[in-house]
Amino acid sequence: MKPRLVIIFLLIVLLPMALMLWLGVRVVRNEQEMLKQRFRDVLMGRLDDTTAVMQRLMEEREREMLRLTELRAFDAPSMRKIVRENPRVLQVFLLDPRGNRIHPPPDGPLCTSEREFLQRAGQVWKDKQVFYRQPEGSAPPSQPQAMPANAKPSLRSLQNKQTVPQQAQIIRAAPDQAYGWYTWYWGSGLNLIFWRRSPVGHVFGIELNRARLLADIIAELPDTDPADPKLPSGRIRMVNAKGEAIYQWGRYEPPKDMRPAAQVALSPPLGAWRLDYFAPPADSGGGLVLNLIAAGVVIGVALIILAVYFYRESAREIREAMQRVSFVSQVSHELKTPLTNIRMYAELLENEVPEDDEKAAQHLGIVVSESQRLSRLINNVLTFARKQRDKLTLRPSPGAVDDLVASVIESFTPALESRDVTVTFNSGAAETVRFDADAVEQILGNLFSNVEKYAAAGGAMDVASRQEGDTTTITVSDKGPGIPRDQREKVFDPFHRLSDKLTDGVAGTGIGLSLARDLARLHGGDLRLVPSEEGASFEVTLNTPRAEGEAD
Amino acid sequence: MKRALGSRTSIALVIIAALLLTTPLAAWADQVKLNVGLANPVLLSGKKQTTYLKVGLTGFPMASAEKRAPVNVAIVLDKSGSMAGQKIEQAKSAAIQAINRLQNDDIVSIVAYDHTVQVVLPATKVTDKYAIASAIRRITAGGNTALFGGVCKGAEEVRKFLDRNRVNRIILLSDGLANVGPSSPAELGALGASLVKEGISVTTLGIGTGYNEDLMYQLAKASDANHTFIGEDADIAQILNREFGDILSVVAKEVLIKVTCAAGIRPVRALGRDADISGSTVTAVLSQLYSRQEKYILIEVEVPATAAETSRPVAEVTVSYANMQTMATDHLSSTVSTRFSPSEQIVGQETRPDVMIAVAEQIATENSVLAVTLRDQGKVEEARRLLEKNVAYLGKYATKYKSDSLRSLQKANWQDSQNLEGKKWIEGRKLMRDIQSERQQQRGYTNPKR
Repeated sequence: MKPRLVIIFLLIVLLPMALMLWLGVRVVRNEQEMLKQRFRDVLMGRLDDTTAVMQRLMEEREREMLRLTELRAFDAPSMRKIVRENPRVLQVFLLDPRGNRIHPPPDGPLCTSEREFLQRAGQVWKDKQVFYRQPEGSAPPSQPQAMPANAKPSLRSLQNKQTVPQQAQIIRAAPDQAYGWYTWYWGSGLNLIFWRRSPVGHVFGIELNRARLLADIIAELPDTDPADPKLPSGRIRMVNAKGEAIYQWGRYEPPKDMRPAAQVALSPPLGAWRLDYFAPPADSGGGLVLNLIAAGVVIGVALIILAVYFYRESAREIREAMQRVSFVSQVSHELKTPLTNIRMYAELLENEVPEDDEKAAQHLGIVVSESQRLSRLINNVLTFARKQRDKLTLRPSPGAVDDLVASVIESFTPALESRDVTVTFNSGAAETVRFDADAVEQILGNLFSNVEKYAAAGGAMDVASRQEGDTTTITVSDKGPGIPRDQREKVFDPFHRLSDKLTDGVAGTGIGLSLARDLARLHGGDLRLVPSEEGASFEVTLNTPRAEGEAD
Repeated sequence: MKRALGSRTSIALVIIAALLLTTPLAAWADQVKLNVGLANPVLLSGKKQTTYLKVGLTGFPMASAEKRAPVNVAIVLDKSGSMAGQKIEQAKSAAIQAINRLQNDDIVSIVAYDHTVQVVLPATKVTDKYAIASAIRRITAGGNTALFGGVCKGAEEVRKFLDRNRVNRIILLSDGLANVGPSSPAELGALGASLVKEGISVTTLGIGTGYNEDLMYQLAKASDANHTFIGEDADIAQILNREFGDILSVVAKEVLIKVTCAAGIRPVRALGRDADISGSTVTAVLSQLYSRQEKYILIEVEVPATAAETSRPVAEVTVSYANMQTMATDHLSSTVSTRFSPSEQIVGQETRPDVMIAVAEQIATENSVLAVTLRDQGKVEEARRLLEKNVAYLGKYATKYKSDSLRSLQKANWQDSQNLEGKKWIEGRKLMRDIQSERQQQRGYTNPKR
């Protein structure tokens, strides 16, 4: 009884709570996802602003390089002058239309920086055919495309602008004139060359001072002045191909292993670099979660109060029902003693009535049989009450089942005969076995009483007993109206009666069959309704171990 | 028509008058002293040999301290966690002290960096020293070391008022290893080389024993400025003051030295400073000359076998520079030739001490650089032997030419040879970079640690 209540209690409280929690979590998650998306969009916007700054810088650099490569006289002193004077230039080179190096002079004296350049630019000489590639059709000027953030920079990424882009006022739009960026890796990172092919086919290349390019980019980027209201609340970090921070700004200091909230790759030729945005742990959605928790707590408390109320109500009802049952059983118990006296004295009186006084004998017989019936009813009530308290136990003792069956039949004979029911007993369980005579008597009493009450019209009751091993089977069949198919199991339910019509003129408590089955099961057997041609046929099986040691 | 002609004539008259006024002024004004000399004005005849050509330039004394060139200086201050305590406090008060020496038309900016970079004071005229000082006082230490970014921002601040007529300078004070952004000596060197082309030099002051001396040395060397090791926090003010003294005494800028070797003479290499050697022409640039300080370049030249008792021209030296007192471009030139004698004694007698001292100084410094490389490779004994060789070599020359400068370099080399092992090496290496910078840049002061 109690565990079931607890389960119901939990269901009432937990199910709606779980449902609400699930819905709430979904709402919050959606909301957070949306906020996160919006947040990411904002961050991406910020990063895009920054990349735009850098792109403008690169375009400016490109224009400057175009101006520088506008060289009329290709002589070593003027080229060295560029190297000496231009802070952004690290080194220059010049190739003739066939790809032979003119500068740094292949046979003339070289200064240290030129020698170093030739050493680190080995890759460039291998790749020099890219400077001579002819334009493919008339491809439109392509805007540099951002690489996906996780794209690994190839060792030699290359962007080749074959046609004239927007800065047409600076360069002549001759079809065979091309320029572009060439990048390669040497030493500690990316190296950049701006190259330009003249209409004649000379290639003028300028190696940019990478540190300076970086310095120029950094100069354009914001610093971290805590008093600056425009300073991002997060941290923006420029990261090179190796994942090392090059420069960073912003109020927030992210923990070491934090993943960036947004990422964007820079445009070529700086495609190997990217910008990471680190956002402080968002408080967005936190309020929503808090609201959800508050609502959950309120509803949870309401549900618990409701459940406690219902629990107390049902507990009170159960308690009252129990009290009623115990009252009935107490009353029944109190009735038992006077009834026993009545039966005893009536039976004594039966012997004392003169044989010729038939009327008195008949009246006395009715008293006896009615007191027996009352006693059975009281027994049933008491057994039922014991069962309710889980105190139903057996007290087996040795004896012959047939003897008991015969004695029960005998006690019913007057009542059955008065209703013109013929009893036949086909005995077959004469062995001495251990069984609870009271329980078996109660089972049979209930079955016989049912025959008397409901199947007397059939005019016959056949009782048969047999024994197989430790099992004793007793069959009680009648030729009455029988039991409808749909009621075959329900007849064993307590308080179930085939008909509640008072007009039937038959009284009963409705617990007889239920008790009989409980007792039979307690006795290691069962009570079943077995199919029969007419009427009803009940079969009682009992576990009756042989009582050899105690025989005689 | 007549009127137009009249106005033209008047313009011409004004120009002539201006020329008349300015020319004598320029001629009277002080000029940088050019001193060109060969180590051996007399060479052994009949033998192909090398000798050294020294081009020395000495800044003239300034008429008065007030009439100096205005400066545009960015102080880039490391405020990383390691600077916390005495270092940052000393550096801050040293910076405030130094800025107090500036005048109204000077420009100063302050950049402080940890893992991020903060422009504490954007480039501004030094009119409100109190406000500048309080901005500096607000700097607190903590975090990593974004040295590269700091220098970049410093350069950007200097660039705002970049002017040929100013002394444009970044002073970097750092005690830590750069760990945000580029951090190799080569990269910082490249940045320095780029900045110097714009006329910005980076003085690097390394505080304590935790900084990367190679990086600081390269950055200063590439941008033609001093690098100094500040071993004691208490010396920060003194050294920053010395550097400010230099900055406030710049008399010449954009010093372009061109050495054109005569026929048959081959320039082999430049010692101490970088020079662009192309055929028979050697080009070198000095960012600035300080008043009363000599800076020089040294070129090893190969002279072909020549008959005795003859003379041959060796080189023609032309120098152009921006005179920071007159704001005019001055030109200097000089030629140098050598005679040939069969007598080794005469050759020996005729050697020029000032050139020989410079040669000894630069060769010893080259050996010192090599000793650091050897020590880095773990070859402690070889490094020690090299430094001991230096000590003996410098001793010989110091005695021969009675040079205190070589004597002190000898002492420094001896110290360095004692500092090659164990814990001493950390400071020893910094001292070596310090003396190398001192001798290559002809820094005007020696390290207080020596």
